[in-house]
Amino acid sequence: MVSFDLSEEQRMIRETVAAFATDEVRPAARAADESGAIPAELIAKSWELGLVRGAIPESAGGYGDARSAVTGALIAEELAFGDLAIAMHALAPRLIAYPVLEFGPDEQRAAILNKFCADSFAAGASAIVEPRFDFDPLAMETTAARDGASYVLDGAKCFVPLATESDTILIYAATNRTAGAAGVDAFIVPRGADGLAISERERNMGLKALATYEVKLEHCRIGADARLGGANGINFTRILAEHRVALAAMAVGVARAAYEYARAYARERKAFGVPIATKQAIAFMLAEMAIEVDAARLLVWEAASRLDKGEDALKESYQARNYAAQAALTVADNAVQTLGGHGYIREHPVEMFLRNARGFAAFEGLATV
Amino acid sequence: MKILVPVKRVPDPATTIRVLPDGSGIATDNVKWVINPFDEIAIEEALRIKEKQGSGEVVLISVGQTAWQEQLRTGLAMGADRAILVKADTPLDTLAIARAIAKVASDEKPELIIIGKQAIDDDSNQIGQMLAEMLGWPQATFASKVELAGEKCTVVREVDGGLETVAFPMPAVITTDLRLNEPRYASLPGIMKARKKPLNEIAVDSLGVDLAPKLKIKTLNAPEKRQAGRKVASVEELVQVLHTEAKVI
Repeated sequence: MVSFDLSEEQRMIRETVAAFATDEVRPAARAADESGAIPAELIAKSWELGLVRGAIPESAGGYGDARSAVTGALIAEELAFGDLAIAMHALAPRLIAYPVLEFGPDEQRAAILNKFCADSFAAGASAIVEPRFDFDPLAMETTAARDGASYVLDGAKCFVPLATESDTILIYAATNRTAGAAGVDAFIVPRGADGLAISERERNMGLKALATYEVKLEHCRIGADARLGGANGINFTRILAEHRVALAAMAVGVARAAYEYARAYARERKAFGVPIATKQAIAFMLAEMAIEVDAARLLVWEAASRLDKGEDALKESYQARNYAAQAALTVADNAVQTLGGHGYIREHPVEMFLRNARGFAAFEGLATV
Repeated sequence: MKILVPVKRVPDPATTIRVLPDGSGIATDNVKWVINPFDEIAIEEALRIKEKQGSGEVVLISVGQTAWQEQLRTGLAMGADRAILVKADTPLDTLAIARAIAKVASDEKPELIIIGKQAIDDDSNQIGQMLAEMLGWPQATFASKVELAGEKCTVVREVDGGLETVAFPMPAVITTDLRLNEPRYASLPGIMKARKKPLNEIAVDSLGVDLAPKLKIKTLNAPEKRQAGRKVASVEELVQVLHTEAKVI
C-alpha cells in the first residue's frame, strides 16, 4: 500500500513553515547572502515555531512526540524554499540534538537536550565532512583512539556550521578504520577542548549567509563518556540516511523556489507581445522543471517513510540525495536561463538559488531530519 | 474572560480564483483553504487578551462543512482552547450563519465576540453587525486597537478620514481591521497540543433557528480584463481623448 497522504498535523506543520518561509525567510534571503549574516531576530522567530524541539519528546524535555523523518523532510523543504542558508542555520541544532536523542543514554540526553528545549535558540553543530577530494564518510581519516579512560581525536573536518557559537560539537571519527560504517563513532566534544582548533570562517560559492568552519583535531583528548551511545555506540548508517534525506528535501525546496520564481516571471515577462511562458522553448523547460521537482520529492518521501517505519533506507536516501542534488542544479540553472539576462543579475534570486544548489554535490551532514 | 471567535474557511488569498463556466460558483479544485485573514487577526487579538489577563478561554466557532475542521484545528494550534463546528451540509447565507452563531453565543455566554470585519471571499461585512443586533450587544467595527479595563472596553476604529475611539460595556462584538495586529504562526508544539483540544460538532438543524435563505447568488462573473493604458503626446490630445473617447469632460 503506497500512500502520499499527510496526517492533519503534518499538513498544519507544512502550512505553518511554508507561511513562515514565504513571509519572513525569503524577504531576508538576499540581504543575508550579501552581508553574510542572518538577523538574530529571524533565527529567534524561527525558533519560536519549535522546529527542533517539536520533535523532541516530552519525556526528554521537548514538546513533541515521535520524531518523524517525513515531517522533518516537509520542514526542510519548506524552510529551504525560503532560503537554504537560513534553513541550515535554523535547523543546525538538530545535528547534535537528534543523534543524542536517538542514541544517547540518559546522562548524555540530560546533558545535551535541555538547551535545545529552551525558549531561545542555542547553536548546535556536527562535523562529518573532511577536507579531502576523495572524502568518503565510510572511510574517515579522522580517528578516535582509545587510550585508557579517554579517546584521542586526530584529523580535520570542514563544512562545520556554527562551530564558533556551539558549546559542544558532535564530531564523527573512525574508531576502526577497516570496519566501514560500524567503525564510525560520534563524540560530544566541548568547543574549548584542548587540541580542538576552529579556523576562520570558510568562504564558499553559495550559502554565504551560513557560517561554516574547518575544525582541526590534534591529540584532542576527551573522556570515554563523550562517546555518543556509550558502549553501544551509534548506528552511523541510520544517521547518514537521515542526513541525506534532509539534504535531499532541502534540495527539493531550492529547486521548487527556482521553478516557481521562473514560472511567475515567464507569465509576466512579455516578448513579441505575449508572455514568454507561452513560447514552447520556455514552456517545455518549465514543464521539465516541474517534473524534476516532483520526482525528487517522491524519492525523498519514499526514503523518509522507510526511515519512519524503522526500515533500512541507505540506498533510498542515497538515491534521493543524488537525484535531488542534480535536480536542484538543473532546475536552478534553467531558472536562470528562463530569466535570460535578468537571471544573471542579483536583482533576482535565481543566481543565488543556482550558487546554493551547486553545493549539494559537496554537502554531507549539514542537515538532518 | 471567555471570548468567542467565529472563523470562516476561505480560499488562500494567493490562490488564483477561476469562476465556473456556468457562473454558479468558483472552481475549487487545487484551491488551498485557509482561515479568513481577518478572522486570524481576531484569533490573535483574543489570544493576546487572554495572555495579558493571565486567564480566560478562547472558543472558536465555524458554521460550515466537515472540512472546516481543518481551519478550526489550525486556530487551536495557534492557541485557542476549544472549537465548535456547527455543521451545515449545504452553504448558508449570512443571516442564517449569524443566527446560528448568535444561538450558540447565547448558550456559551462569552464576554466578547471578536470576528473579522469581513471574509475575503464574498466581502459581505455583515456577520459582526448582525450578531450585535441579535444579541442586543454594543458593537465596535473595524477595530485597529482594543483595550480592556474592568467591564469597559475601548476600541479605536478605522473610519473614513481618520480614527474614532469608542468605549462601551461588555458583553460586546468587535470586528477586526487589518492593522489591529500581526497574527502569530502556529508553532509545532501548538500543533501537537491542538490534537488534544476539544472540537465539538453541533448539527445546525438542532439549534432551532430560521435557516431559510434570504439571499441568492444568481451568477458570478470574472472581472473584465483591464485594457492596457496608452500614452498621449500632449495635453491637447489628452483633453481631446477625454472628451471624445472617454466622454468624461
